[in-house]
Amino acid sequence: MTSETVQGYTTELLGRKSLSENTCELRFSFPPGFSFTPGQFIRFENHDLKRDYSITTAPDEQVIELCVRDTGTGNFSSVLASAEIGTIFRFSGPHGYFVYRPSTRPDIFVATGTGVAPFVSMTRSGISGYIFLHGVKHTPDLYYENLFRNAARIYVPCVSRSSDEAMSDLFQGKVTDYVETALVRRPYDFYLCGKREMIRDVTFLVDDHFPGSRIYTEVFY
Amino acid sequence: MKIYTGGGDRGKTSLFSGERIAKSHDRVEAYGDIDELCSILGAVTASMAGKHQEVETEIHRIQSDLMKVGALLSTSPDAPAFAELEKIEERTIRRIEASIDRMDANLPPLRGFILPGGGVPAAWAHIARTVCRRAERHVIALVDSFAGNGHGTEYSEVLAYMNRLSDYLFVLARYCNHLSDRSDILWKP
Repeated sequence: MTSETVQGYTTELLGRKSLSENTCELRFSFPPGFSFTPGQFIRFENHDLKRDYSITTAPDEQVIELCVRDTGTGNFSSVLASAEIGTIFRFSGPHGYFVYRPSTRPDIFVATGTGVAPFVSMTRSGISGYIFLHGVKHTPDLYYENLFRNAARIYVPCVSRSSDEAMSDLFQGKVTDYVETALVRRPYDFYLCGKREMIRDVTFLVDDHFPGSRIYTEVFY
Repeated sequence: MKIYTGGGDRGKTSLFSGERIAKSHDRVEAYGDIDELCSILGAVTASMAGKHQEVETEIHRIQSDLMKVGALLSTSPDAPAFAELEKIEERTIRRIEASIDRMDANLPPLRGFILPGGGVPAAWAHIARTVCRRAERHVIALVDSFAGNGHGTEYSEVLAYMNRLSDYLFVLARYCNHLSDRSDILWKP
């Protein structure tokens, strides 16, 4: 759609950091000639396995980091999560149009699970002042919480299964519950990334209660 | 990434520039016609079965142009996203004109109205021509709806392109029949 150039690149796995029980952050070398806009993703292709991952780093960091959740089902995320440091991978990119588009409307970033990834890249690139709704089942899955607390105007951890009394601003419920019951009704720019059910449900709430808003989406799973 | 969310299940769709609009909106009619035209051009090339590579290559270029047109129509011209899109340029229209002239130079002079039909590629090309004219009408309606808010001129090249493409498809239909040694079917009132 735009004039972006998608090419193939080789990258080396440089490091791995655990974010929660089954989610880790993987660090890769930044191939010469590669460039991207925060919010875009890369596509790994390895034999029959193909998988897309949004980059979490900012372009000027000159390193690629990914947030990978290993569900233990033997898919490409499992390959990445268990790969030896130094393993070489091939990917294509950059792909996607889920990028930040400044406007006079307030921004609402909504993520479920590892759907935080594109927002991490945007935030590391200097975007701030947004309202951030992070939907997870349990509080240990609130990846990058400190990053978002520092950059967001309002940070709302929406936790559907467990509770944490030490977290005073925790919203007990799904992000859709927050949008429906707690978000002041006016036009916003909604950026939605994560489960398609969340994207569908928030989209319907926007249609019904937030006329004049814009919606940008990226479906993760 | 998954491509479906179900967000359009209640009759609205999202533009590339983020707005939610009814699927019956003029804008959706316009880029829906472009999608239909692009698909019919696929039928034109499929019916040629690789026998006329030069024509098929040009049609593939036109399908690529139409993807750009579809993107432009699915984006509000006052949105930042519009600036990111590839535009239809004057040289693209000149390229279509050169193709028309190349084909026309091989055709006998037109001696009256012709009936759509002949070989299968020509029949598809005539269908493409009529869909192209419908698309043009919907783009005009969309541009007219912008009158008064300072927008619409962003689609001037698109309108010129659609007008020229309709002419190309008329000549293409005649040229397809010419390539298969068929004469025009003249209308006899």
